[in-house]
Amino acid sequence: MLGYVGRRLLMAIPILFGVSIVIFITIKIIPGDPVASLLGPTGSPEARAALTERLGLNEPWPVQYVTWLGHTLTGDLGTSIARRSDVAPMVLDALMNTLILSAAAAVIAIVLGVAVGALMALRRTGILARLGNALALFSISVPQYSIGLLLIIYLAAGAGLFPVSGMYNPNGDGGFVDLFNHLILPAVTAALVPAGIIARMFRSSVLDVMSMDFVEALTSRGLSHRRVMVHAFHNTVPSLLTVAGLQIGYLLGGVIFVEAVFAWPGIGLLVYQSITQRDLPVIQAGVLVSALAFVVLNLVVDALHGLVDPRIRA
Amino acid sequence: MTATIEASPNAVPGSGAAPTTAPRRRRRMTVSARIAAGVVALIVLVAIVGPLLVGDPNAGDAARRLLPAGSAGHILGTDGQGRDVFARLIDGTRLSLLAGLVPVLFAAVVGTTLGVTAGLSGKWGHRAIMRTLDVFYAFPAVLLAIAIAAALGSGISNSIIALAVILVPPVARVAETETRRLADLDYMDAARASGASRLAIATRQVLPNVAPPVVVYCTALIGLSIVYAAGLSFLGLGVSPPTAEWGLMVSDHTQYIYTAPFLAAIPALAILVASVAFNVLGDGLRDLLDVRSEARA
Repeated sequence: MLGYVGRRLLMAIPILFGVSIVIFITIKIIPGDPVASLLGPTGSPEARAALTERLGLNEPWPVQYVTWLGHTLTGDLGTSIARRSDVAPMVLDALMNTLILSAAAAVIAIVLGVAVGALMALRRTGILARLGNALALFSISVPQYSIGLLLIIYLAAGAGLFPVSGMYNPNGDGGFVDLFNHLILPAVTAALVPAGIIARMFRSSVLDVMSMDFVEALTSRGLSHRRVMVHAFHNTVPSLLTVAGLQIGYLLGGVIFVEAVFAWPGIGLLVYQSITQRDLPVIQAGVLVSALAFVVLNLVVDALHGLVDPRIRA
Repeated sequence: MTATIEASPNAVPGSGAAPTTAPRRRRRMTVSARIAAGVVALIVLVAIVGPLLVGDPNAGDAARRLLPAGSAGHILGTDGQGRDVFARLIDGTRLSLLAGLVPVLFAAVVGTTLGVTAGLSGKWGHRAIMRTLDVFYAFPAVLLAIAIAAALGSGISNSIIALAVILVPPVARVAETETRRLADLDYMDAARASGASRLAIATRQVLPNVAPPVVVYCTALIGLSIVYAAGLSFLGLGVSPPTAEWGLMVSDHTQYIYTAPFLAAIPALAILVASVAFNVLGDGLRDLLDVRSEARA
């Protein structure tokens, strides 16, 4: 098992190396002059030359890449152009908030997705199955920003059941209840798409397992339907783990729309605000940190996968 | 709307069926898939002729702003600048559809080329291509698109490039899986033994068999791509105002959410309908090609 996890860790290194190159290239293709945007229109030629020298922008690209990578690895993610402060603490705070939102959304998505998926697999005809199918399809197709807006209009602003935006009440105690109230609507909104995908995948995975020979064998040995189902569900865990892991990972990116609509102070909102300010160091750092979290999450899923399915470790 | 672009081998239609030996049987699409095909055809028709039929989508009358739906001369009312919402919705169909469709077309061509090449190459060629694509899987897709679009600057062509980049890897993976499956079949040995060149094998033997699953997969991607493209506009990374486009309209109308809540729902509904239609059509096409689902049903 340890060897398996070690192999997966080793495989992540070239991936992360590639990720760093892709992000470096996106920094470099940006039109415009970073020196000019840092100095503003009043910068003298001497100041420009000094800053260019200090940022290492007169070096060849490979040298710049190595320097940039070194800074990134030591936790120096640069300086925000718009906020004039270090990017790293800003991005880490935002990442924590995004992880809270993603975790809540993941719980909702998995519970909802498994329930609806199981229902669709066990009752394959009839009104409930059709309803489940339509719901899953709807939730996959729906643009999250519009559902978020509708929830705000009717449940938050209209009925006053939930706070409209933010993470804590500015006048509140900042406690768990406050956080929970602010969390519900964005978490439900973010959970919709993954819930639909999990439901559809879980349905076909249950049907796949149910058509396997061992189910017939167990039934013919006289096991009760309930006991057979327990064995069948046990065999759906690996594929459920894969799809749930993927979906949680995608939540990290997809929550940007939810965060923008609900003003949830996570990576997505940070990146969104930085887009309007063209604050590229923050955008790059946000994407880098999300990709890192994504890779780590995939490693965890792989490890769990190996734990529940011994065949994979080989 | 993050997620459906992962290419699981299970999702590849037609897997397990020999391409030439399976008995041809007439199968028909489900009713819902046929309705979806009708809706898609209608959207395409509106995109082509719609802008010619409605008036200037940017003509606004400040005195007639935020009129409710059903007002005289404005069937869906007017927006915050007094512009006719119906005209903007119809006019915006063309751009919204193009912004979603073009990245998928691009990804279909590039992704298939990469996937087939990887599937037919030796160990190292295969590794080089697939491991490079793996890097793109390490990013949350939407965020990567946003980063690329933000780096290139706003504008519809940049949003199309950004979406195309994130859609290529999953298409390539579908094409590669399919190609590897074909490579083991007898008729490929026959083609090789007959002295056909690699290019001839790729285009004559592999491509016709890889194309159907790729087309099905891409149809399902269009709905997603439309939602993403509108999302980029919503964030200010797509078309620039005052162009009529659905995502931009949602973002435009959001500021009147308390005074005219339905306004933001209208373009959002258009995005939803287009996305559902392409997704249902994709499902229907997959069922049509997928031998396994029939065996199960």
